[in-house]
Amino acid sequence: MEADFLATVLLSSLSSASILLIATIGLAVVFGLMGVINLAHGEFLMIGAYTALTATQAGVPYLLAIPIAVVVTMAIGALVEVLIISRLYGRIFDTMLATWGISIAFYQLAVLTFGTVSPGIGMPQISVKIGDYSLALYPLLMNVVALLILGFVYLLMTRSIYGMKARASIQVPEMARAIGISSARVNTMTFALGCGLAGFAGAVLLPIVPATPSMGFAFVIKAFLTVVVAGPVTLTGSAFAAIGLGGGASVTASFLTSVAGDAFFFIVTALLLWRFPLGISARWRRKL
Amino acid sequence: MKKLFVAASLAIFAGGSAFAETKIGAIFDLTGGLNIYGLQQQNALELAVDQINAAGGVLGEPISVVSYDAQSELSKYTQFTTTAVLRDDVDALFAGLTSSSREAIRPIVQANNVLYFYPSLYEGGACDKQTFVTGSSASQQLDVLIEWAIQKYGPKIYIMAPDYNFGTISAHWVHEYAKQHGGEVVGEDFLALTVTDYAPTIQKIQQSAPNFVVALPVGANQTGFLEQFAAAGLKETIGVVSTNYGSGNQQVVVSPAAGEGLIASQGYFQVVDNPANAAFVAAWTAKYGSSEPIVSVAVDTWNAVHLWAAAVNKAGSTDIAAVTAALESGLTFEAPNGTVGFEPGSHHLRQNIYIVEGDANHSFNVVETFEGVAPAYENTMCDLIKDPSIATQFTPEGL
Repeated sequence: MEADFLATVLLSSLSSASILLIATIGLAVVFGLMGVINLAHGEFLMIGAYTALTATQAGVPYLLAIPIAVVVTMAIGALVEVLIISRLYGRIFDTMLATWGISIAFYQLAVLTFGTVSPGIGMPQISVKIGDYSLALYPLLMNVVALLILGFVYLLMTRSIYGMKARASIQVPEMARAIGISSARVNTMTFALGCGLAGFAGAVLLPIVPATPSMGFAFVIKAFLTVVVAGPVTLTGSAFAAIGLGGGASVTASFLTSVAGDAFFFIVTALLLWRFPLGISARWRRKL
Repeated sequence: MKKLFVAASLAIFAGGSAFAETKIGAIFDLTGGLNIYGLQQQNALELAVDQINAAGGVLGEPISVVSYDAQSELSKYTQFTTTAVLRDDVDALFAGLTSSSREAIRPIVQANNVLYFYPSLYEGGACDKQTFVTGSSASQQLDVLIEWAIQKYGPKIYIMAPDYNFGTISAHWVHEYAKQHGGEVVGEDFLALTVTDYAPTIQKIQQSAPNFVVALPVGANQTGFLEQFAAAGLKETIGVVSTNYGSGNQQVVVSPAAGEGLIASQGYFQVVDNPANAAFVAAWTAKYGSSEPIVSVAVDTWNAVHLWAAAVNKAGSTDIAAVTAALESGLTFEAPNGTVGFEPGSHHLRQNIYIVEGDANHSFNVVETFEGVAPAYENTMCDLIKDPSIATQFTPEGL
């Protein structure tokens, strides 16, 4: 096997893992910090993509369209939390049912608003040459984006006052309330943050995955499995799970077939959950 | 008991329908993931019925339509086909997009002997007396496309296809026609519909260094393949041809940088230039606007309704045996995609196949027109004149 092929496989598998991590991290925050399974995660991603697309069509530069997408999805997320999720805390199956319903409604709303096809914005036509192989630059950039977003969420949770309150409200809710933390407000913020991260993913992945009403379906299953495999140490666990599952699947697909890549993802997920029913990070000593 | 009830209700309905207007059923995906196609199929059906009714209807009576929304769910096709046949007593049914939906419908229309039109391009091979297919089959499109592409780009072919029967059967035909026309398949990759990251496929394509890629992306995610292929800088040296690019207006979604120069072949594109198409596009735009280009399944539906109406008028009755005989009599129709007519034996449409090239404005230019292409594979396997009792979907050997 030639060295240049191996190098391209390694690089593009890393970006596959990064893309998975970017799409997963919002779900990880909501599930890990609130115990809420947000089945509408993929639709928030879709809303982010459409917001960024609409903004660029209106003449906003793409880099500015990304923060706009984050703000819009956070606002919608906060609204959903106040109206629906906040009434269902502690009822995990009811929240799953409710968020699933929300996802269907958002999907059909997108069809009604944007129609079934919208023009994509395309990827920057820049490629990197490694020996005989060339790789598109934009997916490689996702490695940097994934590191930045991971670092941002980590710092937000460990260094900011909001982060401390959020962790306190989850770890010992009664005590948090007793010392004056309004856990309802903190929860709204956390859910909105998770949705904002989904919106960020939709916007930043827009050049790779065009905006369509059904784009959420493609991400939500793998993102969800990644979070479940990650377990209680949400952030670090998700990063490892994304590299192992997403990167591993991509390497497998490069050497065998794409079907084998998918099979790798699901079989390894099943094996890991069999060996570590609470996720790979169940016995780690870290908290995030 | 159930059988008796069905027979009895059929008798009651049949007794009533002699005086009623002609009624057709439409089952398409008006909501859900497939409505990108289903809405246009429904629009085309309504437009065709409007036009036929304005010209006096069939047998001097207007046609009425009963519509159902299959919601992109297979179970709804079974449910609504049964309803359309047993409760609404339709004279003909126009329904379905995916092959799985057609296979859900066929046993029901067969058991109740109702005329069924399947208006969609597909992998080919469906064969039974009640079913008429107006879309083009995979072999019909690929025969001319592969020969054309080998001449244009060279003999080495890579196949990128979805991992279900449309993809695997189409890939079989690529192998077959590559052999026939002096080409060679140097690699292939089948992909799940949920894949969004095509880097592994793109590396394998570079590794096997083909002259052109036969790309059959299905669904929104797989159009991402074309973006990623172009962004990796491969479009300059490797051609891309497809039998389904454009069938769901992918050329609108794909950026001009990735879409320019892509080759597609199908039975219809909106840019086809002839008087029937000009009139059709004008009527469509007047009723539905021009926000989305018209896709081939819309014209397949339009042709199905018109061919059925012509056959009923020719037969002088809606009786299924008489209408089937009329449809098998070499009846032709001046369609937006040229002259079309059913092959008597296979119930598939002889029609033009167009090869087009993507331009920089989310549209196409016609490169070459192949007139009156026969559904060759279906004609060899399926002869319903000789043996009307065949009811199967033929697939190439070994699949």
